[in-house]
Amino acid sequence: MKLTTKQLTLCAVLTALALALSYLENFFPLALLIPLPGVKLGLANIVTVFALYTLGTGQALLILLARCCLGAVFAGNVSALLFSLMGGLAAMAAMSLLSRSRHLSVYGVSVGGAAAHNCGQVAAAIVTLGNTAPVYYLPILLGVSLFTGALTGLVAGLLFRGLEHTTLLKA
Amino acid sequence: MPMKRSRALRPKPADALVVLAVVLAAAALGVYFWGGSSSGSLQAVISQNGQVTETVNLSRLTEKEERVITSNGYTLHLVLTSTEVWMESSTCPNQDCVHTGKISRPGQSIVCLPARVSVMLTDGNASGVDAVLG
Repeated sequence: MKLTTKQLTLCAVLTALALALSYLENFFPLALLIPLPGVKLGLANIVTVFALYTLGTGQALLILLARCCLGAVFAGNVSALLFSLMGGLAAMAAMSLLSRSRHLSVYGVSVGGAAAHNCGQVAAAIVTLGNTAPVYYLPILLGVSLFTGALTGLVAGLLFRGLEHTTLLKA
Repeated sequence: MPMKRSRALRPKPADALVVLAVVLAAAALGVYFWGGSSSGSLQAVISQNGQVTETVNLSRLTEKEERVITSNGYTLHLVLTSTEVWMESSTCPNQDCVHTGKISRPGQSIVCLPARVSVMLTDGNASGVDAVLG
């Protein structure tokens, strides 16, 4: 993959933004309302949606991998890497496919991504624990992903609208 | 050159299909975990780090039993009765296992990720012995 300086810079800024959003998320403890493992807003998914639409799958994937690895280093928690990677990659794969449909808006794409993110995290929990016990949490996580997915879709939509008249979104 | 993506910013009718798919998946799993009958004999399978450490036949319990599980640096306090299992307390940071509450049907589980502990209820009858005669 060949990146122009502008693309590389944008990737770097978006990676930093995704890391900052992951950190910011700790201050909105959704887990206090719904105390289940893996329940969170998924604010960093806004960056994935944005990167996917504006930069394409390749660069969105680079940003995701950089965010997951740096996030694990900053948190000093290597076991969290498996969770963020499997969740992030599942969400990325789902959104990359769904965003190709002309019939879906950014809402449908990001709801699908949020649901896939939770499936990926449950899969990571299955790998970690060595049995299928974590699947018990999936129905509630999927229900929550409808709301968190719609929220990230809304924010990404606002972002696209706000940037419509800038040169940032032009290739 | 990235694939051309529709950048529809308002919800479209087809979005409902994605929502419907997620709702159906959640509902199907929900029916599986909460819809079945809770009668029959239950057993609790306790695992640490992917290894089954103990299997408790709940229907044979006559009174409340407790287990103190030490795993991965955390101490968990599990309570088992003939019909229900719950995590009474845990020293783990997120307390998800305690918040999971009581489980009482086959297929349901309590997971403590930091401690790498899971407790899964299974149908005691399905796994072999129904009754021991003579």
